[in-house]
Amino acid sequence: MAQPFPYTYYSCDCYDSKVTSIPANRSSQQPQPDQDEDERNFDPRNPRSNFSLYPIEQLLYCEDCQQIRCPRCVSEETQNWYCPSCLFEVPSSVIKSDGHRCSRNCYNCPVCMSAMTVSSLENPAEPSPTGGPYILACPYCHWSTVETGIEFEKHTGITAQLSRVANGGKHLPTQKERERERDRRKELENRRSRDLLSGSEDSPGLNRDDDGPLTHEDLYSNLMAFYKAQLAAQSSSSMYSPHDLSFASPSSYSRLLLSYSTSSKKQKRDKPSQMREAASPLEGLVLHDPTTDTAAIDRIRREGWSSTLSPAQKLSQTNHPTIRFTDELRPMASILCTKRGKRCRSCRQYLSKPESKITSTRYKIKLLALNHIPRLSLRALSSVSTPTARPSSISSMPSSQNPEFDYNNLRPGIPTHFLLHLSNPLFDKIRVTLATPSVTPGRIQSRVTILCPQFEVGANTDVWDDALTGPGGGVSAASGGAGAGGGKYGGGASEGHQIEAGKIWDRGRNWTTVVLEVVPGFAKPLAGADKEEVGELDEDEDVLEIPIFVRLEFEADVGVEERGLGDSRGSRGGGGGAGGAGGGAGSGETREKREEAFWTVVGAGRIADV
Amino acid sequence: MSERKVSGSLSRSARGATPRLQDLGTTPESPRTPPFLRSTSSYFGSPGAGSRGEEEYIVIEAGARFLRGGFPGESTPRCTLSFGPDDQRRAGDYRPWDPEYNQRRRKRKRGEEWGEDHELYRTDLSQVDMGLVEDKFERAMREAYNKYFLLDHKLDQKARRVMLALPPRMPQPLISMMLDVLFGNFQAPSITLMSSPVLSTVAAGLRSALIVDIGWAETTVTSVCEYREVLERRTIRAGKLLSEEMAKLLNAEIDDENESDAPKSDVSFEEADEVLTRVGWCKPRPKNRNTMYFPARTSPILEEFVDAVEAPEPSITIPFPRATPPTEVAVAFTKLSKPAERALFATHLALNELDEHELPVPHVIYRALLALPMDVRRICMSRIVITGGASKLPGLKSRILAELDAMVQQRGWDPVRSYGSAQGHHDAVLRQRRENIELRREEGEDKISESFNPDGTPAPVPAGLQDPEIDAIDKKLKHVSLRDGPPPTCYVGGEIRGVETLGPWVGASLATQLRIKGVVEIDRERFLKDGLSGATREKEVSVTQRQSMGPGLIGAKGASERASWTLGVWA
Repeated sequence: MAQPFPYTYYSCDCYDSKVTSIPANRSSQQPQPDQDEDERNFDPRNPRSNFSLYPIEQLLYCEDCQQIRCPRCVSEETQNWYCPSCLFEVPSSVIKSDGHRCSRNCYNCPVCMSAMTVSSLENPAEPSPTGGPYILACPYCHWSTVETGIEFEKHTGITAQLSRVANGGKHLPTQKERERERDRRKELENRRSRDLLSGSEDSPGLNRDDDGPLTHEDLYSNLMAFYKAQLAAQSSSSMYSPHDLSFASPSSYSRLLLSYSTSSKKQKRDKPSQMREAASPLEGLVLHDPTTDTAAIDRIRREGWSSTLSPAQKLSQTNHPTIRFTDELRPMASILCTKRGKRCRSCRQYLSKPESKITSTRYKIKLLALNHIPRLSLRALSSVSTPTARPSSISSMPSSQNPEFDYNNLRPGIPTHFLLHLSNPLFDKIRVTLATPSVTPGRIQSRVTILCPQFEVGANTDVWDDALTGPGGGVSAASGGAGAGGGKYGGGASEGHQIEAGKIWDRGRNWTTVVLEVVPGFAKPLAGADKEEVGELDEDEDVLEIPIFVRLEFEADVGVEERGLGDSRGSRGGGGGAGGAGGGAGSGETREKREEAFWTVVGAGRIADV
Repeated sequence: MSERKVSGSLSRSARGATPRLQDLGTTPESPRTPPFLRSTSSYFGSPGAGSRGEEEYIVIEAGARFLRGGFPGESTPRCTLSFGPDDQRRAGDYRPWDPEYNQRRRKRKRGEEWGEDHELYRTDLSQVDMGLVEDKFERAMREAYNKYFLLDHKLDQKARRVMLALPPRMPQPLISMMLDVLFGNFQAPSITLMSSPVLSTVAAGLRSALIVDIGWAETTVTSVCEYREVLERRTIRAGKLLSEEMAKLLNAEIDDENESDAPKSDVSFEEADEVLTRVGWCKPRPKNRNTMYFPARTSPILEEFVDAVEAPEPSITIPFPRATPPTEVAVAFTKLSKPAERALFATHLALNELDEHELPVPHVIYRALLALPMDVRRICMSRIVITGGASKLPGLKSRILAELDAMVQQRGWDPVRSYGSAQGHHDAVLRQRRENIELRREEGEDKISESFNPDGTPAPVPAGLQDPEIDAIDKKLKHVSLRDGPPPTCYVGGEIRGVETLGPWVGASLATQLRIKGVVEIDRERFLKDGLSGATREKEVSVTQRQSMGPGLIGAKGASERASWTLGVWA
């Protein structure tokens, strides 16, 4: 796993309950998941789970819907566009014409994708007035435009210069020049075909005179021009204006009829308005030419592997889809990034909205799940007994600090104790119920027991409240490793707490820790088991991932959120049985009972091979 | 206005059932002008107005392994997204960026077919987890919208319409899933479906063509006549088999290199795919299994090339950085053409060993042509368009065309493969016919009457040893038509000819930019109400019905509901 052990993923339930209800074709499947909701276990091995699991830092929370919102169930709105490499904000009027790419000097290396720099090739012996020629060079892999024969005169306006130079230093005609050239050639062709009416002339040979095969771009514009000309030729023959888009005008009717009634070629020829197919490369028709094939084969044979492009390099050359060899590479302008506001898809409420200033990383609105959902974290129990200070949040403690416990080497068959730590970001006390399948799903079956599945977690009150009222211990834990507290826990942990069913391990101001007992399974079936050998393990199959279902109950102030009642109306069953919100709302006048439920997946470590 | 007309012919499509040309053009009802349509469109603004705000499109082509997306009027898609396993990781799983990760070879999962984790979907839905396909599609679309489309929500208040290019045999659950995602998660107001063979035809500048799409799981040969699918044949000899063969070849080569006691090498999909796309090739000259081949028409370039190959035996050094230990293997250059040979042409197998679904590609093309009515066949055989991912293999197109040409010359258009004891007689007839044709071609080179005979049916042989009488008036008429009508290349037929296409995505981009309406246009509200079952069962939409879906209604939106919508080819 890319995340270091132990880690926690939260599942967003838009996975199976759609935000926008699309009834018809799902109606047959809908009741089924509801029925066995209770028995259904979350399987982190299912390939689908990859799409619904998120680290809690990436989740948002809609306060109106009281739901977790993952990137899948928010709709995003672009606020502004900027280049990630020069941080220049691009106005929305030009982004499309620039192809969503930076139109300044930001280019990415076509070989390794890192940002390129403009460097000078000036000869010190004979300096040029502009300091040029300049090139784009990649500081990482040392590819430069010299390899494709492109040099620039100035060090600014690279995009404009690059658009005029083809690989090899030849002049690249602009769109307008190309159109003019096409018209000229077409005229030429027409004249020639009129001259020799014999008809046996070879039109492809006629047009491919000087600059080799047409590029993709040329072909496209030829085709487009051809179709446009054909359509215009038809509409001009009508007595109505060509802009008449109405489908019901008589002229269009007659043409429609024409197109459907003509079944024989003879009739077609009698009506010149009938659309024809393209007849020459200038109109977009390209006949297959075996010489291009043989030339490519020949080149591969001569130059070998290193002259060809990898699939990733080909894909990144979006403007040249038929590219094959290294000398066809073009530097790619860096693609623009956006700042996007995110809205809840069901209630259209803004969940996050960044400040529009490009260089600012602050947010105007930011409703994080982190502030609404308890944070679950796991760590091995044996690592606690070391006299190091224990921060309140375990995830901030990298596993490397505990050299004794190797999360990448869990020993199969030997019971291991983990501490499951829940910290509550809410200002209300919560009652937590945890559930986990006794045997983890997947090939390696590990037994998991939560010793105390039901407990309370204190409210996230002011730190000093707790210090003044409660027993002194909680303070140190909250302040994260103050010297005295750390020492106390370091000493007291081993004798003060017991691993005992039904008892919590430890508790603080807004956190509670319970013990989780895991017996990692064996990768290979034990001798005597009549399972046949199924071969080697897949990637990550030896990772011990424990699905844990978390259910919270708490009483919240209705006054804080006046839309509390509306929630019961709009709730969609609240995936995982959190539907009790509505019932709770009626009972108290100022306090409202709420429920929240979701699946989490805790990655405990990698099971060692025996 | 004229666009409408094109739209009609573009999108109407009959599948398979009636392959006769005259049937294609008929419509059952005679069209009537609905009385209110015109007035409403003029009340609610000028005709041009609707096309600005409402008609903004996004063009998407969903293939089995790649998803292309972009804007109409552009020559290339803005993004081409793949579905590799690294695109399916959890959020926050950054291991593809771990330098060590790229040194390791990915193992295939248990029970997983070759390349399965690189697919978006497969058409055999019994083995497909639809939810997973939806997840993949949704994530890819999200990436396309957020990273590449970067739409301005203030500028176009509404989300954009979507033009979706799909293969004509797409299973309905998959279509339904894609529509679900696009309507639900991306708020598209309407989605137009267009079939990819038709769009390939458009992108080739043709009206009729034989589209050979060498895709991932299968090669489909679709005959498109006047923008309608007429006939379809398919074979599993396509990209998947090709890369599997390449992997076999590489494994054998590596094992040869290693000591005999070394563990068998197991090349991953990524490696085989990379080798295939970088240095894979295909011999452009066929070695037909029926050794008869007519050298008269092979181009001199091919000859020259083959000679050059045989002189030295060059080899390509292929690095395998992901193998343990990293290694380099030199593979003889000629060997790199073997996978194509085996996978697509099945040269190692006799034709009678092959099943209907695994015929070599040229044979499928031949059979498809054979099944066509004669006039359609004449048009299609000189408009063979080879497209699809695997067709990028250098030499493949030439090879297919050459092999097909040889087959046609050898067998003619005779559905009977074996005449048993009458074979000798048949051969004699055939030989004579061929000689006649050769003769006539040679002497007819400078006669116009031959090269663009509008009816195009090759003259039947029995009567045909002597040249047809040349009528002076006919000749004159032809000159006139040549001057005024379309150029002669538009009537080329009766010979094997390959035409290049820019691909279905470009076709969709062209069609959308030219404001061509598709028959299968699905409205968001209607789909959300009824799903795919809301479509009328009729495949053909009559002219009047299509009218009600046309632009006349744009102004009067909501006032009158569309009569119905159809799934067209996909019904």
